[in-house]
Amino acid sequence: MSLRGHQKSTHLLVETASFLVVRLGGSYLALPADGVRGVLTQEETGNEQAVTVAGTLYQPVDLAQLLSLVADLSGPEMRTVLYSKGHSHGAIRVEQVVGLTDVERKNCLPLPPQFQRDERNWFGGMMLYQDLLVLIVNPSWALGELAEVVRVAVGERQRMAAAGPLAVGGSC
Amino acid sequence: MLRAARGQQQAQATKRSWNVVVFSVGGIKLAARTEDVGGVSPWTESIPVPSRTPFVQAMLKRDNYLMPVYDLATRLSRKLQGDPLLCLVARHADGPMAICIDADVPSLETVDAAAIRPNISRDIETLGSVTIGGDDVAIVALQRLGRLGQDLI
Repeated sequence: MSLRGHQKSTHLLVETASFLVVRLGGSYLALPADGVRGVLTQEETGNEQAVTVAGTLYQPVDLAQLLSLVADLSGPEMRTVLYSKGHSHGAIRVEQVVGLTDVERKNCLPLPPQFQRDERNWFGGMMLYQDLLVLIVNPSWALGELAEVVRVAVGERQRMAAAGPLAVGGSC
Repeated sequence: MLRAARGQQQAQATKRSWNVVVFSVGGIKLAARTEDVGGVSPWTESIPVPSRTPFVQAMLKRDNYLMPVYDLATRLSRKLQGDPLLCLVARHADGPMAICIDADVPSLETVDAAAIRPNISRDIETLGSVTIGGDDVAIVALQRLGRLGQDLI
């Protein structure tokens, strides 16, 4: 009956992660929202690839090229996402910012183990957003902090395989 | 004793024959053990996924279920035939995997295990090959599909 007990039970039920969902070519990608420092229009960034905001220099990150995606970054919905992770800061140009969403961690799914190569470093997992498949970008990789990226061990792959592709949530 | 002997005979008979699903990819007839096939249904548009894994570069969404797509046609350098194309779900060791196959509806066959020949081809993972309807048909090892391809690329 106590208020403290009531709060505790509420927190147990809701465990979410926030993402900024963007589009690049035909792919929908999610960036963990805690690293988003701003979203700028073409008019706000001008022709500069690198962006300085509040004294911080955001180096250009060509996510489309990194992922070998064909993207049209000349459209009116193109945005530059300012993103920080640790000491790295990147200006990521995307075709469209789709939205901001909170996802229950159990609904974040691992990449199926059949994906075995570099993509395991590129993506931390995947999720469904408005019926779309959205790939969760690993910001450490995107910003070049490769040293922080831990490759998925064989044992982990086997564990995921045993559980099935959708049985394991919590990949965010 | 008699019951046990009958049971052994049935078990031996089972071992002597394999039930296979015969399907085609780009006009090539292939087979797979029925226990390695999760189902066959109409193909729906796949979702491209940036990937460097050979032949695994898309996902298929069925209701709220997602599974990777294995591009067997590209691996075999074939163009899929017919319309509408079909989806064969492979019971892969790493989890279900969708394969787009020709529009020809797959058939079920029972083959004599003794008639299965070892397949020395390194084109694709197989359990051997067998003659069905006059055609030499490779029995694809769906459970380990992609393992050999990883080494080849």
